[in-house]
Amino acid sequence: MIKIPIRVLLVDDEKDFVEILSLRLEEAGEIVTPAHSGRECLDILETKEIDVVILDILMPGMDGITTLKEIKNRFPLVEVIMLTGHGSTESAVKGMKLGAFDYLLKPAHFGELTAKMEAALKRKDEQAERIRKAEVKFLLRRGGDI
Amino acid sequence: MKTGDNHKRQPIRLLLVDDEDHFRQTIAKRLAKRGLNCDQASNGNECLSILEKKAMDVVILDVKMPGMSGIEVLQNINATYPATEVILLTGHATTFDGIEGIKSGAFDYLMKPIELEHLYNKIIQAYDKIQRIAAEQKESEYRKQMEQQMIATERLASLGTLAAGVAHEINNPLAIIRESAGWMQQLFARDELKDMPRRDDFTKALDKVEKSVERASRITHQLLGFVGKSGSAVSEVNVTELAEEAIRLITHEIKNKDIEIVRRMDPSLSPIQSDPYQLRQVLLNLLTNAIHAIKSAGTITIATEDVGDSQMITVSDTGGGIPRENLAKIFEPFFSTKPPGEGTGLGLFVTRGIIEKLDGTIEVESKVGLGTSFCIRMPKLLKRTEGFEESFSQKWVEKIRARAKKT
Repeated sequence: MIKIPIRVLLVDDEKDFVEILSLRLEEAGEIVTPAHSGRECLDILETKEIDVVILDILMPGMDGITTLKEIKNRFPLVEVIMLTGHGSTESAVKGMKLGAFDYLLKPAHFGELTAKMEAALKRKDEQAERIRKAEVKFLLRRGGDI
Repeated sequence: MKTGDNHKRQPIRLLLVDDEDHFRQTIAKRLAKRGLNCDQASNGNECLSILEKKAMDVVILDVKMPGMSGIEVLQNINATYPATEVILLTGHATTFDGIEGIKSGAFDYLMKPIELEHLYNKIIQAYDKIQRIAAEQKESEYRKQMEQQMIATERLASLGTLAAGVAHEINNPLAIIRESAGWMQQLFARDELKDMPRRDDFTKALDKVEKSVERASRITHQLLGFVGKSGSAVSEVNVTELAEEAIRLITHEIKNKDIEIVRRMDPSLSPIQSDPYQLRQVLLNLLTNAIHAIKSAGTITIATEDVGDSQMITVSDTGGGIPRENLAKIFEPFFSTKPPGEGTGLGLFVTRGIIEKLDGTIEVESKVGLGTSFCIRMPKLLKRTEGFEESFSQKWVEKIRARAKKT
């Protein structure tokens, strides 16, 4: 089976972390766009087609939770996996309630991360498919009325 | 009379020492009529050998006796039984002895011939003094214990906060180290590097880097798990089922050892209100410790029991036991007797943190060479579920502070 590359947006204020993880994800066949703040992340989402955002929770300026709210508000189809350096799962749970797909504790296992990304992509595709079907139904019904 | 009530509640242990049999027996009889029964001795040696076998509150001691003198006996009693009070009986012309006696630590002296009423009152006074001293001692011990507990608590709390901060700061660089090592591993997997010289050495070293990151992150996560505001999920917990589950989870650990798991569990326990995940963590920690305590062969016993408003879980092993000097330290963070890398020194620290957060208690009993037993009591109902996310250390400090204010 041919691997479909996932279009990933990697957001973390730790530049070294973003740099290395980008290399790894690209090596694994994904397409990675790096970002270092919540603001930058939202700007990129405006212009680029993204499947999954990997989002650090603790960032200076706009933090991960605020960024997550904005993403879900403006780009509801984009899936978000949260990364937290904070061992407390509290903020992660809060993120899940706000619509994040899943979370990982730093330092995370690479295999776990990619597995979660695949799952996130699957959910995004399924959701997109449901929306498409709903649209078709809607169009058909409207067509019938005419 | 106030003092009269006192000795009715608890009989005063009284020893009467005099070489004159008739005098002694008369006094004893008359004291008995007033409700004071006493043992008797006719000389100093006999007095001391009785004291060896039976603790006395008050000794009535004749000064002038053949053999060991009353003063000598008094000094002996003072040195060996500081809680015992002595009333001296002196002859008419020997006030000097009495004064000497008080200097040597007698409660008081009475001159012969004695008036019984007088003697009776002195005995009661001496006994009151004993009780007062005992109460003062108890109180000062309690206060000292309280102070020590408070110091320990404050220390642990600030240590916990600091540790959590450090752990958090360390997780970010750890993540970079892990990803960098992983990236190199990915590069070594490429065809172009297949024939690189000493490729195996590099990959082996990278393996070690990754394993060490794993080890370090285990510590930081444990620390954060302790201090962090936990996402506690309180629900109904069946303690026996939870214990079974914990046993299932550790069975792979005992494969290399000859360990028998004995269940003394009550299957009919009703569920309690608690956090199943945290409580399971507690049981896993205790079971793991039990397994590590057993060198090659032994028994681990798990018991669950209903004890009124709480339920008791006991995990006992027949391992090496914990030496007395370590027993006080086992709940301290970073205390470990395992070789470096094998124990984080946080297991029991976290265990106790969880238990106290869930309003429970943990006790340990251990004998070197025989084994160790941890006993947990968890309440059936949590004291409060509101504000439950409040961290354990904060709650603990507040509790101790409130107690300190009262005293």
